[in-house]
Amino acid sequence: MSNFSTDDNVAEATQPMTRAEKRQARRMRRFDNPWLNPKLLWGAGLLLGIVLLGILGRILWNLDLVFTGSATLKLPPVGFENLRRQPGVWDHPLGTDGSGRDMLALIVIGAPNSLFVGLLASLIGMTTGIVLGFTAGFVGGRTDDVIRVLSDVMITIPPLLILVVFQSAFGDVSLTMMALLIAGFVWQSPTRLIRAQVLSMKQSGYVQMARLSGAPTSHIMFREMLPNLIPYLFGSFIANVTTSIVTAVGLEVLGLGPQRIPTLGRTIYEAINAGALIQNLWWWWGIPTLLLAVMFIGLLLINLGLDEVSNPRLRRLS
Amino acid sequence: MTSPVLTLKDLSIEFPTPGGVVEAVKALDLTIEAGRRVGFIGESGSGKTTTALAVMQMLAEPGRVAGGSIDLGGTDILALNDEQMRRTRLSRVAYIPQGAMNSLNPVMRIEPQLWDAIIAHEGRLDRAELKRRSDAALESVGLPVHTAQLYPHELSGGMKQRVCIALGIILTPELIIADEPTSALDVVTQRQVMQTLKDIQEQIGSGLILIGHDMGLMAQSVDELAVLKDGELVEHGTVKQILEAPKHPYTQDLISSVPLVGGESFLNPDRRAEAPKRESSEPLLRFEGVSKTYGAVTALHPISFALQGDTPQIISIVGQSGSGKSTMGSIMLGFTPPTTGRVLFEGQDLAKIGASQNLEFRRNVQAVFQDPYSCFNPFYRVNHALSYPYKRFGLSQGKAQTQAAMEEACAAVGLDPDLVLPRYPHQLSGGQRQRLIVARALMLSPKLLIADEPVSMVDASLRATILSNIYDLKDKHGISVLYITHDLATAYHVSDYVMVLYKGHVVEAGPPKAVIGDPQHPYTQLLIASIPWPDLQRGWGSGLEDGAEDNIASAAPAFRGDVAGFELAKA
Repeated sequence: MSNFSTDDNVAEATQPMTRAEKRQARRMRRFDNPWLNPKLLWGAGLLLGIVLLGILGRILWNLDLVFTGSATLKLPPVGFENLRRQPGVWDHPLGTDGSGRDMLALIVIGAPNSLFVGLLASLIGMTTGIVLGFTAGFVGGRTDDVIRVLSDVMITIPPLLILVVFQSAFGDVSLTMMALLIAGFVWQSPTRLIRAQVLSMKQSGYVQMARLSGAPTSHIMFREMLPNLIPYLFGSFIANVTTSIVTAVGLEVLGLGPQRIPTLGRTIYEAINAGALIQNLWWWWGIPTLLLAVMFIGLLLINLGLDEVSNPRLRRLS
Repeated sequence: MTSPVLTLKDLSIEFPTPGGVVEAVKALDLTIEAGRRVGFIGESGSGKTTTALAVMQMLAEPGRVAGGSIDLGGTDILALNDEQMRRTRLSRVAYIPQGAMNSLNPVMRIEPQLWDAIIAHEGRLDRAELKRRSDAALESVGLPVHTAQLYPHELSGGMKQRVCIALGIILTPELIIADEPTSALDVVTQRQVMQTLKDIQEQIGSGLILIGHDMGLMAQSVDELAVLKDGELVEHGTVKQILEAPKHPYTQDLISSVPLVGGESFLNPDRRAEAPKRESSEPLLRFEGVSKTYGAVTALHPISFALQGDTPQIISIVGQSGSGKSTMGSIMLGFTPPTTGRVLFEGQDLAKIGASQNLEFRRNVQAVFQDPYSCFNPFYRVNHALSYPYKRFGLSQGKAQTQAAMEEACAAVGLDPDLVLPRYPHQLSGGQRQRLIVARALMLSPKLLIADEPVSMVDASLRATILSNIYDLKDKHGISVLYITHDLATAYHVSDYVMVLYKGHVVEAGPPKAVIGDPQHPYTQLLIASIPWPDLQRGWGSGLEDGAEDNIASAAPAFRGDVAGFELAKA
């Protein structure tokens, strides 16, 4: 009996399982470890790919090619010809842009930059959200009113409007500065989410038990409540990364944001500005767009995967 | 004999899970005649609800009927397609759910919800006709007609449950399935709702399946009993047969586990432990004119008492929901500040307690709450709930000693420490969790334990065990206990002194033999009359006597003698 698999045991106990049931059982076994979720793995893989592109590119590729005029202008990727009938060359496998910068070098530097801005902004926003949300939920009273009104008001202000004004006033900004500015617009929804969760958890039996155990407030907040918020925090974090990247790219495409550091958004801005669409220089704007798409699909998959991890009911339906 | 409304033949239900197929119901054979009331009794997980849901074809995914047949008055239920089944539900078989609180749409008035039921089966009808029928349905369950215009949140729990019954019978089905319809209600309301359900069922002559785990309630409500255990029908017969001559040992257990007023005690007091020596001569707990108001509502009228605590005692506080008993518990724990008066613990005012004394106070006053499901943080293994306070109060002398203390406490409440401690809360049953909470209290050995309805959410068969665990805290470990409950039968057995609360007033107080054995206040009498007895000779009454309310409000409180160590100011 011991050398039978579980599947066989089950089949022996009752009538043989139909094919649909077998598939279902297999699917369930696969999800026994919720973290081995295919969506989560694919999403993480795509993002890791972007990071690897940045690391390997820095090791294997000559980054000096990112400077203006380091190569022939407007060369197409290998295997294509541009309007001047110049074929792509292996020295610049993804082609060059309108001022002779190597596309591969551009994305090696630019793609991780965009991801970095998104992650940093989201991280700062989440931290602010956690602190404010817990404070509002726990302290209550006036503090709660102030934080709640502040976040509700901030949620109604269109971030792009404010950021455009800010950035034009600042002129050139660094990546970190940009992340900080964006963070000012992504803390509201985590604040509201955590506040609501804290309010409901405050009434729960285990928090009362912890109070009975003489637990200090910090213990109740961070050891009893926070662990149960982890699924929410993860989901909210990933959603915020997406929002932050969209905002950052939006600013860059408008020509705002960092002027000296290559980013995907800035590359698209320059392509549009130089009339790349009319001149059929599709690789100039197409490659950065493709990378952004990969990034967003990766983030979306991670978010869907996390949803299934934290909510077993969705898992079974999939 | 009339024709059967429901015939279950060889019915098996299974749930395929990752760990293999779970057989929830095994080869069940049962016939229900028209006009008969059949009780399904068994613990949670015994397959009672699953069977009922299969009759409605409403099994939760991925459950399915693996074999056998379900015949509803000549129709093979399993052969019906979705649309035919939809037409059958409610018009031929109605289901009255357990949590009536959550079964009504909160944003709709009652009337349109009743109309929806009719329209879904008979198509659009004339407004006047709809109104006539919904009013008739409400009247038949004893609700005033104006209820139709109210929203669910404006109704009490008992009224909501009656609306659910009205919904169930509005199309005069052949079979009504009532799934623990009164488990969320207190005894007084329970009796009224059950009476309504019985009357209406007799009126329309349908079959009734009553699902429950309370033998007393079953004895007073049904004609036949089906005892289920682990998905198997272990015994089936008339109530009389089963109560008087139970054949299966499990049925005998179920019957004997019901605590009775004046019946045999389920406790075994073996030795009376001394209370831990105390330095101060101040009473352990003293209420000085404590009251609590929430806005215009007075939850608790001024009350003064002193619990000396030199000999361990169990003081019971009894009352319906809304009587102020839980407010009192919360005030004692220092979670709710009183509106007036002072609460003194060993002479120390709770309102003026400092941070360092707070820890000392927490160590000395512990609690067992009503809901064992929420008391454990789902993120941690259950031993966290036991070891954390132990360390926090400075009782621990290293990891090994903490572990030993936890194991000892588990063993003392009859749990296997190796099996229970390393688990996550969702892997344990409600009864196991509640016993763990008692074990936690035992480990911390406080001077006072506040037990707020500790057994109301636990299976009936486990109640006696948990209560005897709590009794042992007093008897073997010298801990004084304040037992807050709505269940007079258990209060009768465990307590040394009983206070009956009604709308924030103490209406009767004294030793349990006097107060519960021979009640004098009309409210106490009503509470006792409402207990369903697992005894056919003892009637249950209708619970609908008029004028009872006035009687209660006007009667003077009855104080029935004192017990040394506990003084209640007679106001």
